[in-house]
Amino acid sequence: MTTALSATAAPAARTPRGPRGLVWAVLRVHRTALVFGGLALAVATACLIWMYAIADDARRGNVPCAEPAHDGFPSCASVEAITVDNTYADGIDLLTAALSYVIFPVAAWAGGALIARDLESGTARLAWTQSVTPARWLAAKLAVPAVLLTAATGTVALLGVWARQDDDPNLVGDWYYPDVFISTGPTAVAYPLAGLALGALTGLLLRRALPATGAGFAAALVLYNVLERTRENLWPTVTRTEAGGFELPRSAWQMSWDGPTRATRAMYHPQSHFWPLQYVETGILLAVAAAATLTAFAVLRRRTP
Amino acid sequence: MTETAIEAAALTRRFGRRRTAALDGCAFRLPAGSVCAVVGPNGAGKSTLLSLAAGLLRPTEGAITVLGQAPAAVRERLAYVAQNKPLHPQLTVADTLRFGRELNPRRWDDRVAARIVAEGDLAPDARIRTLSGGQRTRVALALALGKRPELLLLDEPMADLDPLARHQLMAALMADAAEHGTTVVMSSHVVAELEGACDHLLLLGAGRVRLAGPLDDVLAAHRLVTGRADASLDPHTVVESRTTGRQVTALVRPEGALGDGWQSTAPTLEELVLAHLRTPEAPALHLDDAREAAV
Amino acid sequence: MTAVTTIETSTAATPARGPRGLLWAMLRLHRWALWFWVLLVAVGAGALLWAYGPGADAAWSEYRTLHCDTNDPGLGCDALGPAYNMYDTAVGIGAGLLGLAPFLTAAWAGAALIGRELEGGTAQLAWTQSVTPARWLAAKLAVPAALLTTGMLVLTLLHRTLWSADGQLRAAMGSRSWYQGTAFEANGIVGISYALLGLAVGVLAGLLQRRALPALGLAVVGLALITTVLGTLRPYLWPLETLTNKHEYPPYIGMVVDEGALTSTGARVGDPICVDDTKCLADHDIVGFYRDYHPSSHFWPLQLVETGIVLAVAALTVVIAFRLLKRRTGAAV
Repeated sequence: MTTALSATAAPAARTPRGPRGLVWAVLRVHRTALVFGGLALAVATACLIWMYAIADDARRGNVPCAEPAHDGFPSCASVEAITVDNTYADGIDLLTAALSYVIFPVAAWAGGALIARDLESGTARLAWTQSVTPARWLAAKLAVPAVLLTAATGTVALLGVWARQDDDPNLVGDWYYPDVFISTGPTAVAYPLAGLALGALTGLLLRRALPATGAGFAAALVLYNVLERTRENLWPTVTRTEAGGFELPRSAWQMSWDGPTRATRAMYHPQSHFWPLQYVETGILLAVAAAATLTAFAVLRRRTP
Repeated sequence: MTETAIEAAALTRRFGRRRTAALDGCAFRLPAGSVCAVVGPNGAGKSTLLSLAAGLLRPTEGAITVLGQAPAAVRERLAYVAQNKPLHPQLTVADTLRFGRELNPRRWDDRVAARIVAEGDLAPDARIRTLSGGQRTRVALALALGKRPELLLLDEPMADLDPLARHQLMAALMADAAEHGTTVVMSSHVVAELEGACDHLLLLGAGRVRLAGPLDDVLAAHRLVTGRADASLDPHTVVESRTTGRQVTALVRPEGALGDGWQSTAPTLEELVLAHLRTPEAPALHLDDAREAAV
Repeated sequence: MTAVTTIETSTAATPARGPRGLLWAMLRLHRWALWFWVLLVAVGAGALLWAYGPGADAAWSEYRTLHCDTNDPGLGCDALGPAYNMYDTAVGIGAGLLGLAPFLTAAWAGAALIGRELEGGTAQLAWTQSVTPARWLAAKLAVPAALLTTGMLVLTLLHRTLWSADGQLRAAMGSRSWYQGTAFEANGIVGISYALLGLAVGVLAGLLQRRALPALGLAVVGLALITTVLGTLRPYLWPLETLTNKHEYPPYIGMVVDEGALTSTGARVGDPICVDDTKCLADHDIVGFYRDYHPSSHFWPLQLVETGIVLAVAALTVVIAFRLLKRRTGAAV
């Protein structure tokens, strides 16, 4: 009797801390990707904090000037001598581009390393015979990276907006440039999630690591380019017709311009369309992610008992 | 054909920075035309030894000569089948045999390879990735034998085969070896079936050679004795002894006549191997006139 | 007995045609990659040919419709119309494939060409089928290199043809100069040499990692680092030409690398932007302005020097790969 009691007491005394179960399994198996992503996040955060720190100086290097200084304008020599605005612009550019391209390595990794490699080498079946149903396995494989990606890209996107401050297009690019548009709104989080889901689907369909890596990358490429070309159609444009010529402000995303023979006719998106366009595009991306995820589960259910 | 198939002297191989070597100062000599069984516990270094003999690894210290030369120089004359029987999964069976033919232009014999594949009823257009483990073994052996090698190195070849296939392939291997005088070096855990086929034994333990020599001689050098527990086995080399109550059973290498109180029988290969596996610190026995490792 | 007869006929029925030996093995094993490359080259060539013909015509007619070539251009000439965007997209696809090819090659070479074979043991299978490791590696490098060079050459020649024909269109629309981005690589042999560098880097990554997916990552990241470094070196690979002018900046031509003001001692200083203020000019001792640049006549010298450097790096990578293989397997050539 005493042996039975001590047997039940012993396991209770040694519960490990930290993630448990499937979450631990996913994190441990994909430790390299976790470390790499963590490093990338750390570097991006550090750079954006630095950008924020030099943002004020950068703006001082981007003001109208006169030579010699008069009428309240600073001297152009002193303005030109400020090179920190170049650093600021280049840094913001680089981080914006990097954030908008995250979908590609995520989709390739999700296809190859996350899903297909396990299926190819049989370690998926190892998990399934360790009392984890295939559906739970796939759910964990998708949920853990999704949560971490959302947190990471969300942080970087918010830090980016914070570092951009007033969005001066001369310094940080116009709001309708593809990179800028993707990185300054919820699409920054939605694109990698769609890439994750598409990659996982290709991994389940192809079941071999290298073809799935290529296919995941290709799927992300198609999605990215299709959305880039059709972005302007996601929300109705504004048409402005006036007799005589006029110019659209820089903040307008110009689609077409006609004239000025007798009247000028322009179709464009004003800056106020930024959020509607973001919502529609995010909705499309999340729908793609959801569809890919549901298809992936359906494929898995059909293949396993 | 040279007289010695494989000769190793002070052969050592370390992996990475581990302090224990996979092979540590091995020395043995294998005559040509013999069928040698390489046995030993898991992790003893059998796969490493075969890889070194096949010219796939470089020794950390010491040397190994195959057919009188460095393994790399006789690549065409030896064949090797690794433990996991690597094959290209996307090729068909026919393509795999063609792979062998294209890469061995001077020594390929299609009939031998095709016969082995046909005996297993394998469809020539089946992709390798759809085959079972035993079928893959068959294709891998076909690739090896199609080369008409002088030395055949097999790393646990029979592991995936059903009893009938094992019997058939063993028979095919032995017939081929006898007909062409091929030296066969085979590592295996199924000791019982080695006994009928092999005439040379190499037993490895913890990276060292424990027994080496012609099988008959090695067996003849050991006796399985039983006697009273208080009797001494002094002048003889004791490999392993077990005491149950007042009786002791031991495997010994007799040096001279055994005393009266001892009953002795000749051990089977299985008993010999098991006894050596159970006592890794037993002294080594070389009956193959290898040049001793310079210590 | 029937088994024997079928074997006899099977050996008789397969006469050797086409590629033999290692070449056959390479083409058979990497069939998918071969067809994918052919497809990629076809798509790029198609895009460039379309841009050369119908694309350019459509862009020109749109240009003229907006009267952008007259003295009274419409304000819409500031933006690019849909026809020009299509043209630009087509050229972008062709030139973009040239720029992407090194990275795709590095990823494939690391993962499928080398890494997967070392991981699965099929490399060792080849080595015990009478192919020395050195010959194996040589074939793994030579066959893809030949196919890469051919495809890239086709795309480069098409791009050059396009480039020589659409000069006016480019000048009118103010896009892509000879030294910018993919234009520089796509008009000469630099693009081809980067593709070969990608192959070499991928092979070395595969040998270092010995596993397919980590080799893929290492190859892509490694190639990205090397190309970034080489890209920053590009303007300095050939002696610059300098233009000076006393009163204002020399004309803005070619690939400008550096500019500023000159003092009376001939020293170069940053421009204090005095503009017309003579007192300011005298204070800073500015007597003229300089501009360092590469005229378009420097195109081929820059190409040749950069190609030489890239190929030297690729050759070094290949040598390291062979040494690494020899150290691991102890096999002579």
